Amino acid sequence: MKESIIKPRTIKPIDLAGFSRTFRYFGRSKIQVRTNLGLLSLLFPSLSSRPYLSLLRLAKPFPLICKRSMASDGAEDHRLRRIASSIRVIPEFPKPGILFQDITTLLLDPEAFRDTIDMFVERYRDKEISVVAGIEARGFIFGPPIALAIGAKFVPMRKPKKLPGEVISEEYSLEYGTDKMEMHVGAVEAGDRALVIDDLIATGGTLAAAMRLLGGFSSTDRVGAEVVECACVIELPELKGRDKLGGRPLFVLVKAV
Amino acid sequence: MAVREGKEQDPRIPRIASSIRVVPDFPKKGIMFQDITTLLLDPKAFKDTVDLFVERYTGRDISVVAGVEARGFIFGPPIALAIGAKFVPLRKPKKLPGEVISENYVLEYGTDCLEMHVGAVQPGERALVVDDLVATGGTLCAAISLLERAGAEVVECACVIELPELKGRERLNGKNLYILMESH
Repeated sequence: MKESIIKPRTIKPIDLAGFSRTFRYFGRSKIQVRTNLGLLSLLFPSLSSRPYLSLLRLAKPFPLICKRSMASDGAEDHRLRRIASSIRVIPEFPKPGILFQDITTLLLDPEAFRDTIDMFVERYRDKEISVVAGIEARGFIFGPPIALAIGAKFVPMRKPKKLPGEVISEEYSLEYGTDKMEMHVGAVEAGDRALVIDDLIATGGTLAAAMRLLGGFSSTDRVGAEVVECACVIELPELKGRDKLGGRPLFVLVKAV
Repeated sequence: MAVREGKEQDPRIPRIASSIRVVPDFPKKGIMFQDITTLLLDPKAFKDTVDLFVERYTGRDISVVAGVEARGFIFGPPIALAIGAKFVPLRKPKKLPGEVISENYVLEYGTDCLEMHVGAVQPGERALVVDDLVATGGTLCAAISLLERAGAEVVECACVIELPELKGRERLNGKNLYILMESH
């Protein structure tokens, strides 16, 4: 009998603003997450020698509380908590040293998935957005429901040679080497107001490439949309992707540290 | 684009059909590629497409919508959200992190492989498989296999377009196929 997907469960959140000493259970092993201030290492120095603490850097998504002072926060907190706790972290994927934020478990929770979409739709429905661009492939999961709800076009931003017909392309850097992103010619028009969606922002390279394509910087006639905002479910703030977006704003639901 | 004739044709289908563009000789010579990206550029056509599937599957106790990478990821999630089902992505190899089950299938030249997460689907769940188009049926057949191996009951396969001459309908292990339009 195969094990069912192990969802990380949050026990004892102390302070959702980020100083949490939250214990997350993955299967049978108990993993202790270090606080931002490293308090635990001061209080319990002898723990540092135990092998399981090599997983202490396990990134835990915690909810981003945007407007803490507002009285209506209760419902928003509840939604963000559910969203954050539905995301599972897979260590050593796709290679050693990387803690992969896996949103597929969020998609297995219909309420969390609905809440995720609702939070984006609430933000963008009155902003006259005419284009939602989603980055292959996980941006294809979140982008279309948002586009449908706000009445915008959906434009897929794809790996090379997937889109038929005439395309414009933009190269971007990877850790080793480069990759290319393509968009259909004519997908966006002058005057379009665009949103770029992906599941996660890390270094910001992919989002920056998408913004250049949408903005017309990669095409010879320079026809393009105005990129209003980039939106992701998860941000890895330590990788400073936010700074690579040419001054355009970034909106995220959870940050993983 | 040949829209299916008959008394059952929904009035929304002609607009959807005309929003799909055909790109000749892609990905290789001789193939007339059915490009749904132009459908996605027409918000009303896209909404109508999703609505047609949602109307069919609401109230049928479907708890899983499985979408095949990558264009199945565009149509599957809106349907899943509307009917209150989970969305399960079926992906090319090495994309899904963690434990997976794999199913190989035959292409025109060579083979390919589809993967699904272990534990995404529980035995007894009722599932839908969604993709943009069915051609030979190889991909859908692999998808059905994965879901059945996990113990789910595949209720139906749903696609926007069928290429009936490629007889994909016959390769679905007895499962029913629902489509919005055919292309000859």
